[in-house]
Amino acid sequence: MKLEIENVSKTYRGNTQALRSFRLELEPGVLGLLGPNGAGKSTLMRILATITQPSSGRVLWNGTDIEHDPDTVRSVLGYLPQDFGIYPNLNAVEFLGYLAAVKGLDAASARKRIVELLELVNLADAAKRPLGEFSGGMRQRVGIAQALLNDPKLLIVDEPTGGLDPEERVRFRNLLSELAGERIVILSTHIVSDVEAVATDIALIAQGQLVVHGVPEVLLAGVHGKVWEVVVPSGELAALRQRHLVSNTAHRNDGVHARVVAVSAPRPGARALEPSLEDAYLAALAAQRSGAAAQAAV
Amino acid sequence: MKALRVVHAIGRADFLERVRRYSYLITLLFAIYLGYAAGTGRISLRLGDYRGVYTSAWVGAMVSLVTTTFVSLVGFYIVKNAVERDRQTGLGEILAATPLTKVSYLLGKFLSNFAVLVSMVVALALAAVAIQLLAAEDRTFHPRALLSPFVFFTLPAMAMTAAMALLFETFNFLRGGFGNVLWFFLWSFGIGLPGLTGLSQLDPSGIWMVYESMVPAARTGIPGYKDGFSLTVADKAVRVAGGFHWNGVEWTTEVVISRLAWAAVAFVLVLCASFFFDRFDPAISRRKSGARARSAGAATQAEVALESASARPHNAMSIRLTPLASRTLHSGALGLWAAELRLALKGYRWWWYAVAGGLLIAQFAAPLDISRGPLLALAWVWPILVWSALGAREARFGTEQLLFSCARILPRQFPAAWLAGALVAAITGLGAAVRLALAGQGAGLLAWGAGVLFIPSLALALGVWSGTSKFFEGLYIALWYVGPLNRVPGFDFTGSANGLQTTRFALKYLGVAVTLVGAAFFRRSRQLRGT
Repeated sequence: MKLEIENVSKTYRGNTQALRSFRLELEPGVLGLLGPNGAGKSTLMRILATITQPSSGRVLWNGTDIEHDPDTVRSVLGYLPQDFGIYPNLNAVEFLGYLAAVKGLDAASARKRIVELLELVNLADAAKRPLGEFSGGMRQRVGIAQALLNDPKLLIVDEPTGGLDPEERVRFRNLLSELAGERIVILSTHIVSDVEAVATDIALIAQGQLVVHGVPEVLLAGVHGKVWEVVVPSGELAALRQRHLVSNTAHRNDGVHARVVAVSAPRPGARALEPSLEDAYLAALAAQRSGAAAQAAV
Repeated sequence: MKALRVVHAIGRADFLERVRRYSYLITLLFAIYLGYAAGTGRISLRLGDYRGVYTSAWVGAMVSLVTTTFVSLVGFYIVKNAVERDRQTGLGEILAATPLTKVSYLLGKFLSNFAVLVSMVVALALAAVAIQLLAAEDRTFHPRALLSPFVFFTLPAMAMTAAMALLFETFNFLRGGFGNVLWFFLWSFGIGLPGLTGLSQLDPSGIWMVYESMVPAARTGIPGYKDGFSLTVADKAVRVAGGFHWNGVEWTTEVVISRLAWAAVAFVLVLCASFFFDRFDPAISRRKSGARARSAGAATQAEVALESASARPHNAMSIRLTPLASRTLHSGALGLWAAELRLALKGYRWWWYAVAGGLLIAQFAAPLDISRGPLLALAWVWPILVWSALGAREARFGTEQLLFSCARILPRQFPAAWLAGALVAAITGLGAAVRLALAGQGAGLLAWGAGVLFIPSLALALGVWSGTSKFFEGLYIALWYVGPLNRVPGFDFTGSANGLQTTRFALKYLGVAVTLVGAAFFRRSRQLRGT
């Protein structure tokens, strides 16, 4: 099982380039696709889900170009878009039943699967209520259930935890980890903690380009020995931010405890910290931005 | 002053959002087509078999009445989404959280509606100038005579249309398909109102004023003219009454005030709309809809209950998903067809089925002519909202990405949706079909079958191409009014009014159905390719 993204670019009308020669090769596991808003994550997700076609490059599913034969991937695909609608007059069972029929499940298998999925996403008690009465978080869980209807080999979830409460969010992360065994799961998000919790592989995307790809340890290694905690008076925080990459702050009695990513200690008394994925993510983004700015200046 | 600035800002933003869409080009193309149709005589103002010389006054009155009549009908469907767009995009809730008043918001939207309609009027006024210059029947150009009908007939009528569209949007039950269908009847009623009441003041379109000015003049100015005044869509030749130079409506102060009064009525309608407008409060929408006869409080309670029920703690990881065997993913088309049918019919109350069932039984019981005539006509307009969702449902509810990422949508879901629509037509009109078969009327049965296939094809094509159901609702009800209801041969897709030409027209409708399905298929396949 293999998904290959070969030099994929996407240019929208008005010459907006959402993706630039994006390359990636995926095998079973959970890929955490991280990137800031507008980085091109959703465009990439839509291309992989065969909703949008790339302007150039190709995507291969087990060697088959999905642009020429989209059904190859669609038949094994579970897709949870960032924004999706529901039919408000249907209840959860009917809505999932409808999508199961569209996906080609036979009636008996669909019935059994829907019962299991509604239990899994904790909607069994609300299964017979019209979807129009569901809250945003409940709709999101219906979306998660529909993505799993056909037991997908490729599961693409785009910003899936938005609208979920913390408990549901943890449960969804666990579910993704469970599902990862024999399938490729792509989790697109800008929430680093979601990726930290489940991803076996991380790809960082910014300005439509792949910045870095590898196991989390690779990203972390990049900031090893470069994360510091310094305590500064509140009034000096702005100046610190101008000079260094500050990944987190906390106000305490003795001043502001700032978490700083820097090659050397940002000021006397700085304490070295164990780097987190968020530090690595922010550092990689900052490096990409300064690289892009330097390139633009040249 | 501040309030005016707010109204202007709301109207301007909405107008810009609309005119920067491709659909606005189609709107302008429609206006240009109307001008072309008026210029080439496809739509004409007639005095029996005659028309007057194309003076500025005649051309101005003719094109302004064409504009008033057709743009007020079609324009309503074009502009009836100003509030809905804010509801769908979520902008409405943001605006509702500001000090913006309901009156300011709706006046802004009214301005935008009006501006869109006026842009069509301007295109047609320019067309009127071109018609007079190109026809060159009267080389004296009087801008005032040509443009006054646009100012005093068309603009107040456009204000009324803009306000009515807004009023319909503020009532939950008029927001959707029912409102679209109702508008057609209201529009027809409005056009015929002065004729029905004999009161020329009740003339939103101005057509009666032209009648009162033109017909007496024609009686003295056209030898042989007896009676007759119509705005006609016809290819029948018309005779030019060479000596008849109509000078136009006399724009007395009384006439001008009576026309401007319609603009005032439009303003009052907007104020009424602001009274009923829910200001994007979903609790009010639900309470007003009465769909499930629950109060807003009960709705909130239900949501809270649902949330708490669904939030009960349980160990998700103890639930195992049974792996699916690959064969379970290749079920037959029948299941999908049934699913599409269930989806199409979901949400209708018992009385909807009771009326459909009553019409079906009546088709079996009534004499054949009644069964295949008025009863079949009624049976085939009753499910209009079932058909109008075809092809548009995915865009309306935002489920495209869920569906379009599934395998074999074109060979499976697309025909299943179409067949579900055809089945609804077949079942609701089954009585007439059985009666035709029993009477051995093969041609009638063929026409019935053509109708069964034509209706969902038209719905699917318009739905897929426009992404909205209102164009089918507007067009179908107009076609139904002209054809099955008023029995104009050729327009009657049920076949009952087509007499000896039944087979010929049935074959034409079959051909049109195939073309429409092809057009829908082409568009959907493009959508699936993300283009």
